[in-house]
Amino acid sequence: MSSQTTALNSGVHAKKADIFCKDEARVDWHSKALWVLREKRDRAAGSLPEWEQLRQLGSEMKLHTLTHLGEYLETFEKNCQANGIVVHWAKDGAEHNQIVHSILAKHQVKKLVKSKSMLTEECHLNPYLESKGIEVIDTDLGERIIQLAKQPPSHIVVPAIHMKKEEVGDLFHDKLGTEAGASDPTYLTRAARAHLREQFLSADAAMTGVNMAIADKGAVVVCTNEGNADMGANLPKLQLHSMGIDKMVPDLDSAAILLRTLARNATGQPITTYSSFYRGPQDGGEMHIIIVDNGRTDMLKDKILAESLKCIRCGGCLNTCPVYRRSGGYSYNYTIPGPIGIAVGAQADDTHSIPWACTLCGSCSYVCPTKVPLDKIIHHHRRLKAKAGKLPYGKRNYMPLVGNFMASETMLNCSMSVARTALRILPGSLLKPFSGAWGKYRELPVAPKSSFEAWFNKNRGQ
Amino acid sequence: MSSKQSILNALKSVAVAPQAMPPINVSPRLDDVIGQFETNLGTVAGTLHREGGLAALQAKVDELIKEGKQVISQVEGVTGNRSAPETAHELKDIDFAVIPGDVAVAENGAIWVNNQHLGHRVTPFICENLFLVVSADKVVANLHEAIKQIGLNSGEFGVFIAGPSKTADIEQALVVGAHGACSLNVYLI
Repeated sequence: MSSQTTALNSGVHAKKADIFCKDEARVDWHSKALWVLREKRDRAAGSLPEWEQLRQLGSEMKLHTLTHLGEYLETFEKNCQANGIVVHWAKDGAEHNQIVHSILAKHQVKKLVKSKSMLTEECHLNPYLESKGIEVIDTDLGERIIQLAKQPPSHIVVPAIHMKKEEVGDLFHDKLGTEAGASDPTYLTRAARAHLREQFLSADAAMTGVNMAIADKGAVVVCTNEGNADMGANLPKLQLHSMGIDKMVPDLDSAAILLRTLARNATGQPITTYSSFYRGPQDGGEMHIIIVDNGRTDMLKDKILAESLKCIRCGGCLNTCPVYRRSGGYSYNYTIPGPIGIAVGAQADDTHSIPWACTLCGSCSYVCPTKVPLDKIIHHHRRLKAKAGKLPYGKRNYMPLVGNFMASETMLNCSMSVARTALRILPGSLLKPFSGAWGKYRELPVAPKSSFEAWFNKNRGQ
Repeated sequence: MSSKQSILNALKSVAVAPQAMPPINVSPRLDDVIGQFETNLGTVAGTLHREGGLAALQAKVDELIKEGKQVISQVEGVTGNRSAPETAHELKDIDFAVIPGDVAVAENGAIWVNNQHLGHRVTPFICENLFLVVSADKVVANLHEAIKQIGLNSGEFGVFIAGPSKTADIEQALVVGAHGACSLNVYLI
């Protein structure tokens, strides 16, 4: 598989999308698989008359929390400690990884079972721990598949969405000894269940992400469908939970709002199979929570970027995005792809191209369960890149020209008149090259007889 | 400066003006709450047994034991053939666990289980199949109502369970039985 190198090397979004788009049949299949999730989401949302009310509540509650975050984090820490939970603070990914390693080293942990956490992906925890000699087992089925294939996730909820069952079958045959050529999802899932059960039973520690951290209880909520987080956290005596500062909610009532929308918006389920509330370690066990900043407080200092921290990582914006569906998760230069990946990852993108992996159609903002204004944030990133003098090559040169040109009525009218005439009298083969990438999959338009302005003056004018 | 202090300091310059916490008043759907629960439990691949109560469950358990299955019960009035072991790991060969649920949620088929009734916390996850028992007067309309009734004292663990474990990570094909229980039967009492 060459996709790992493709995914990890940074490159301009359009170039990386080209690689994905080489196999048209696969692009269609990928797009359709994600659209099925969007349709399921629509049915689930449509079945609740209060859906829009829940989105509004989610948005307001998250904004309230983010604008009082210092107080809530301190309350949370105090309450956790009262429940026998050890709380750590990390300003960045490196510190997070060191804290995790020091806890594991103290307990001489050799094998760690992990459930899904986009934060630990963001911090590149797995390679760090492996370099220290700790075996890390991802236990979510999709994550285990890509871990065995040595690939990063291509989606935040369904990380192996880019792989076909035949590829998973070949991988499992190679790594887990399943029958050659077997690709039945039930058969493969059962094989993974048996394989991972051994891992759960022999692990020295477990680690999970956090869906919500409840300030007034000092508890964390972890949601899974597979039960892997709970099989992990409740077998070994040591459990760790990593959370971004943005996971905070004030109380149980607030968590209920998000639990009602999270799974409905992600996969169309009314709720995840397991929504687990940990308010302390098991008998004789130890529980640690690592609170991580890693750039989040910087985002909160920008009024528009701040709203991206309302996100609850349902993946709904990926499933609806026409660009993500047809360019794949590896075309974004960030761990998180799609609209939310652009929103939270554009500043780290050294190609300065991902804010343009967007048509500004706004579908993402429309489906978002906490009303993150994704299209507005992405547009804002373009402005920030321009202000910083970081526009990608090409845009840097022609965008100012286009700007001046379109601002001049005379120049615009003259050239449009030339273009209409050219479209009428010149052969398409001569004109097509001028349309660039736009014309690659499109026919040139039929030229109207006159400009809109002329039509308007004639028909609607005074 | 500690990382905690530097994070808290940075949070003093949030660019968004402080927002008020919104009041949460969502109207519950009160028609046929148990019917709604049954439908949604079905959606999440669980099965509801409305009739027969604990006697029906005990009869089922007896049948399973006769077949040689390993059954552990945490429900008073239902007897299995295994008792809570010393360590959680010893539960690995449990075929069926019988566990009491505190609150059931009509809108999504979820049932709240608190660790006071679990023996080991891992019991409802590690068993091959799960039976939950819930009282008919503990079925509430939605999650807002449920969250007011659940118990989660200091140091405790609790979980909303909605159906058996499942995954669709291979080509979006739904497979029931991932890492947790492979089936869920709910007995109403």
